[in-house]
Amino acid sequence: MSDVSAIRTARARPMTEMSNLRFALVVALPVLVFLILVVVYPLVYALWMSVENIQFFGGYQTEFVGLDNYRDVLRDKEFWHSAWISIRFTVESVALTLVIAVALALLLNRPMRGRGLVRSLLILPWAMSPYGTGIIFFYLVRGQTGIGTAIAAAFGSADTINFLNRDLVIEVLAVGNAWNMAPLVAFFLLANMTTIPRRLYDLAAIDQMSALEQFRHVTFPPLRFTLFVFTCITTVMSLKMFDYVYTFTRGGPGDASAVLTYQLYKVSFQDLNLGYGAAMSFFLLALILGSTLLLYLAWGRREVS
Amino acid sequence: MRTSPWHNAALWVALLIALVWTLLPLYWVLKFAFETSGEIALFPPPLFPPHPQPGAFYAIFGWPYKLASGTVLLPSGQAGQIMTGLRNSLIVAVVVTAITLIVVVPLAYVFARLEFRHRNKLLSAVLLAVSSPPVSTLIPFYALYVQLDLVNTLTGLIIVTLTITIPFVTWMLIGFFRNLPPVERLARIDGFSRAYTFARIMVPLGRGGIAVAAGIAFLFSWNEYVYAQVLVTGSGAVTLPAAMSGFLFQDPEPSHLAATLWLALLPPFLLCFFLQKHIGEMNLVDPVR
Repeated sequence: MSDVSAIRTARARPMTEMSNLRFALVVALPVLVFLILVVVYPLVYALWMSVENIQFFGGYQTEFVGLDNYRDVLRDKEFWHSAWISIRFTVESVALTLVIAVALALLLNRPMRGRGLVRSLLILPWAMSPYGTGIIFFYLVRGQTGIGTAIAAAFGSADTINFLNRDLVIEVLAVGNAWNMAPLVAFFLLANMTTIPRRLYDLAAIDQMSALEQFRHVTFPPLRFTLFVFTCITTVMSLKMFDYVYTFTRGGPGDASAVLTYQLYKVSFQDLNLGYGAAMSFFLLALILGSTLLLYLAWGRREVS
Repeated sequence: MRTSPWHNAALWVALLIALVWTLLPLYWVLKFAFETSGEIALFPPPLFPPHPQPGAFYAIFGWPYKLASGTVLLPSGQAGQIMTGLRNSLIVAVVVTAITLIVVVPLAYVFARLEFRHRNKLLSAVLLAVSSPPVSTLIPFYALYVQLDLVNTLTGLIIVTLTITIPFVTWMLIGFFRNLPPVERLARIDGFSRAYTFARIMVPLGRGGIAVAAGIAFLFSWNEYVYAQVLVTGSGAVTLPAAMSGFLFQDPEPSHLAATLWLALLPPFLLCFFLQKHIGEMNLVDPVR
């Protein structure tokens, strides 16, 4: 092994020891400074917009209105409707994503022929952009071009099967979102599964565990922290999701799938109500931070220790 | 491992379900690439392209294509944008992935394995950065970029994309590093420095997770649309997703859109195919506690 010589030189070198905190700061500070510089300016700018009434028509002018925009948002029925849609979409997306991801990861961890190809095929939904996913599912579930209609026609029926109706649209959105995100989670779970020592499975076999027991006691425990992290990540991603909803349903039919980000887009970019939109965006930010904090308090705290 | 026939059959059924779930939505739209606009508009929609032909692929590369019936399919007006977009997307994705890995792997290792004061506070600060929704920071970002002269530049897009990939990938990798056996304690006892332990022991040990992280950073960047749409559309710095949107809204042409989606899937597919080889059995012994 060539490592031996490297070990010798490493030993010969006099050690300059750092404390853990200092080592952490050396690594983390430049990144934090970069993130803060790039993220804080737009946030402060948005904060300024949120306390102004910004007008374009009849010449650009701004007027300080204090917290009026925030008060108006809270009185806005459409805002509460959108917030509720966002929460429903997110909860359904996250639950579906995690279940599908665990199933995919367990399957991919099996030894089988052509595993490399199967893995590369099953990650494809994540390779598709949220933007493209929206387009794909739009054509897939719509009555005019949808697969439901095509299959019905193959069985001799002339019905139009449309999944894009007011009652189902959020569930359909969640399924598409889970289709897109599940491979991302699955592949990280898979990478984590490979860190589980082989011998634990041999021991489980000696104990004559059933497949279910083996999953619960051997495979699952090392994945719990990763599952927590991905619950947070998929929650944040779903609450932030815009391009997918934009190309898929455009908030429709009516306003049945107008998630908060879509409502924000409508207010800020179509109605050009910038101050009001900025105020609304801080409620969305609060929702995102609130849900991750809640997840941490309810679940993550136990996993971190 | 038990290999009863039932067991095998169950595995095959599971595999079949997974493949149908994954590939059916892709197939349904990607088949448009092999149809003409007339065939796409047929009702009821056909399950397979009636007369498959590669005309749409010719169109997005800027060439005409003559059908068997004698009709000539014209090249797409977006062809130039698509080619520029493809090149720019590759540049942005590669640069973003490289920077993300250089920054994130040490960061995730530190948060996962070292005990120090304020750890959770620093970690929350990293997560905070991904929490601001792009729609609400678009206008401020645009204003900032106008002042810094970064609108319509790849550099500008790379900076924005890094604010998405760095926090997400850090969070993802932390869970992975936590699961690795604590061999670095042994290395420390042997007197290696922290940096040496990290570079020569933890990185090779964690290459499965790092490979997945690389793929994920690449794809976040490859697929970023919201910022690209505002910051680089229509310029020489356009990326593929932004160039693609021209098919949807200005001049709806589903077959060209489908062909471009095919094109957009190819680089990630190849990358994943090579990266997944590193996710192998690690044959770790029991963790030393």
